[in-house]
Amino acid sequence: MDILLVDDSKTMRGIVQRAIRQAGFRGLSVTEAENGSQALEVLRKEQPKLILSDWNMPEMSGIDFLVKVRASANKVPFGFITSEASAEIKELALSSGANFLITKPFSPEMIQEALSPILGK
Amino acid sequence: MDANILVETVEDVFRTMMNLEVSPIESTLGSSHGALRSAVHVSGSWNGALLLECDGQQACRFAGRFLSMDPPQAVTPLVCDVLGELANMIGGNMKSAVAMGLSMSTPTVSDETDAAMPICEGEVQDQFAFDSADGPFWVTLLVEKGSEGKLSLCQQRAFSTD
Repeated sequence: MDILLVDDSKTMRGIVQRAIRQAGFRGLSVTEAENGSQALEVLRKEQPKLILSDWNMPEMSGIDFLVKVRASANKVPFGFITSEASAEIKELALSSGANFLITKPFSPEMIQEALSPILGK
Repeated sequence: MDANILVETVEDVFRTMMNLEVSPIESTLGSSHGALRSAVHVSGSWNGALLLECDGQQACRFAGRFLSMDPPQAVTPLVCDVLGELANMIGGNMKSAVAMGLSMSTPTVSDETDAAMPICEGEVQDQFAFDSADGPFWVTLLVEKGSEGKLSLCQQRAFSTD
């Protein structure tokens, strides 16, 4: 698994996957989860190269998911793709261990800029 | 909040996600303006809701653009999911311009055949009609009356989005 993609919206998961391809990252293995709880289950079995997560999700929010990931000493690169655009949210994300935050609406160029240092393109 | 921020946010969301130019027009909400209403609720020091409304065929055209496919022939959960995401993006960007420390709900999409169906005990703060190549739609910012730090979420008939 290259990317673990976490978003409660099936539509947005599809849009993000398309943007990843448009950004030039092809042939990646992407596993999807609908919320943080489901994503933690995935992580118990397999380690991705990168986690991309929404912020606002039912059951377990993106920030709660990130905190749990870091609490388990998992240092996998973690990025948010969220409509939460405020400086305080970005600060909270980064101070909690996120590597980057992409604000919706986003372009493939924004995806490329964020993912390239991690996925090596 | 500066109303221009809301307009600019709407324009940016539609341009970036759907390559669709939209612009505000003079138009008032009428009884026939919309069959679908997407809403996100904001709570904290400022309480209210952001509504995105359009008719069902319009929502189908938006879904087609958003997903780069032929527009669905009828309103499906996928169409509702797209409308919800659009409200989510507008609301998320809007709330950061309103105040610090606000929380936002996940979006709900409701059938507006019951025109009296309330969203929340709110007053209209801003309301804009937008025109686009796909037709008009409406964006409304509601502010809760007598807000005391809690938002009264109202009952809605929500579509499943998955």
